[in-house]
Amino acid sequence: MSEPAVEVLLADDNVADAELIMLSLGEDLVGRIHHVYDGEEALDFLLCRASYAQRSFEDPPKLIVLDIKLPKVSGLEVLEQIKRDPRTRAIPVVLLTSSRLEEDVLRGYQLGANSYVQKPVEFERFRQIVRRLGAYWLAVNEPVPSRAFSGESR
Amino acid sequence: MPIEILLVEDDHGDVRLIQEMLSEAGAVPFSLEIANSLAAALERLRAGGIDVLLLDLGLPDSSGVSTFTSVHAQIPTLPIIVLTGFGDPSVALTVVQQGAQDYLMKGQVDGNLIWRTIRYAMERQRGRRELVLSETRVRQLNESLERRVADRTAELAAANRELETFTYSVSHDLRAPLRQIDGFSRILVEHAGPALDSKSQHYLSRIQEGTQHMGRLVDDLLSLAQLGRQDVHTRPTSLGAIVSDALNEVRGDWGDRNIQWAIGGLPTVECDPGLMKIVFTNLLSNAIKYTRQCEVATIEVTSTGSNGRSTILVRDNGVGFNMKYADKLFGVFQRLHRADQFEGSGVGLATVQRIIHKHGGEIWAESEPNHGATFFFTLAQQGDHAVAESA
Repeated sequence: MSEPAVEVLLADDNVADAELIMLSLGEDLVGRIHHVYDGEEALDFLLCRASYAQRSFEDPPKLIVLDIKLPKVSGLEVLEQIKRDPRTRAIPVVLLTSSRLEEDVLRGYQLGANSYVQKPVEFERFRQIVRRLGAYWLAVNEPVPSRAFSGESR
Repeated sequence: MPIEILLVEDDHGDVRLIQEMLSEAGAVPFSLEIANSLAAALERLRAGGIDVLLLDLGLPDSSGVSTFTSVHAQIPTLPIIVLTGFGDPSVALTVVQQGAQDYLMKGQVDGNLIWRTIRYAMERQRGRRELVLSETRVRQLNESLERRVADRTAELAAANRELETFTYSVSHDLRAPLRQIDGFSRILVEHAGPALDSKSQHYLSRIQEGTQHMGRLVDDLLSLAQLGRQDVHTRPTSLGAIVSDALNEVRGDWGDRNIQWAIGGLPTVECDPGLMKIVFTNLLSNAIKYTRQCEVATIEVTSTGSNGRSTILVRDNGVGFNMKYADKLFGVFQRLHRADQFEGSGVGLATVQRIIHKHGGEIWAESEPNHGATFFFTLAQQGDHAVAESA
């Protein structure tokens, strides 16, 4: 039996926040979320390299949820690299972060983020927001056609 | 030290005459040198050491007013007494207007007059030199003062920026652990709620209250810090419209309470509409909060004054405050009421004050306990903004 396909790549160095995000998204999705703790591992995963060399570009996550403050490689740098790379460019990226600095928001959009969401302090609101994000990007939003990742459109 | 006099005169008779008059009446030691042309005079002057110049305007190589201006242009600080032979008062007047110390008519001169003129000329010139010197000194002092003020201002601005960055990162980093405390305590209630006794549930709700309160503090602090980094973008703005906007924002705060609103007479002023909405949202929300115990609350928003300098006021009939604490009103985290009576973070009025100051205005309040409070503020006069913002 093969592993279930990864639907969400979650990059957040904060274990507790990541757990709250997973709890908010709901049990049925948890098995399909891959959680990484720093920007470098996020890039390894997405660019199918290092310990993720066996992964294929044709099997991308449906959504990337990125924190901005990440160890090693920052969230904005991860964003910049995957939006520059034709093999990963089409994957939707949601920046989910504590920062509401205008320059972070601006830079996020300039680098091609598909959405920018601030983590609220209050957990009820946080849970609602994360649930809506999951519902929107995984159920409402039309997924990127797979040929975007198979080389045909390049 | 003898007085060094240079006589510029090509007529030998005149030279001898003046020489005699000077010696006759000379009460002070002096030495007299003669130059018989403009060129010779200029050359001698370049060597220096001359205290006063007696100058005939009619020379072999120069005549009229230009004789004077040539010399004066070369050494503006040298006292020059012009000798005129032709009794033309207009020439005399012209050279004096252009900077000569005095003039003497040949043929109407005696030794005493020459000496008096020389001494006055030197005295006046010294006064003028001292004046120029002290003016220079004052200018230098001013410049150095301005430089120091500019340096200090830059230092202060840098320190402010640093503090704001610090506040921002601190309050930013406080958010994550708060969310986690709030989140996991809630999940704990959901997970184990039915199994918990009422005391445990009470403790958990205390944890949640605490995190919520701190959450508000952090959010407000963040807003305040962000405000410091924000630029003011002013444009002509109807304050009436801003107040309506703000009122919509706080509408949820009063539920079914009876509040009499008196809003009117608000001018159109040059301000940042977004920031001004924060001002009114805070002031109105305070007015609503602190009239909570009134059966009928009255809240008035209006303005007084004219000629581009209006004072805006927000008045309520609520609990008010003791004027003794008026200076604490606008401080960050300063509260004049118990948290269980009137909730709040103590950041609202600090935010309001910061916005008003960013507009180059002033804010103050008047009150009496149980007799309501009035908040007044002004904004910079038209055209004041550039000054206000760079300060």
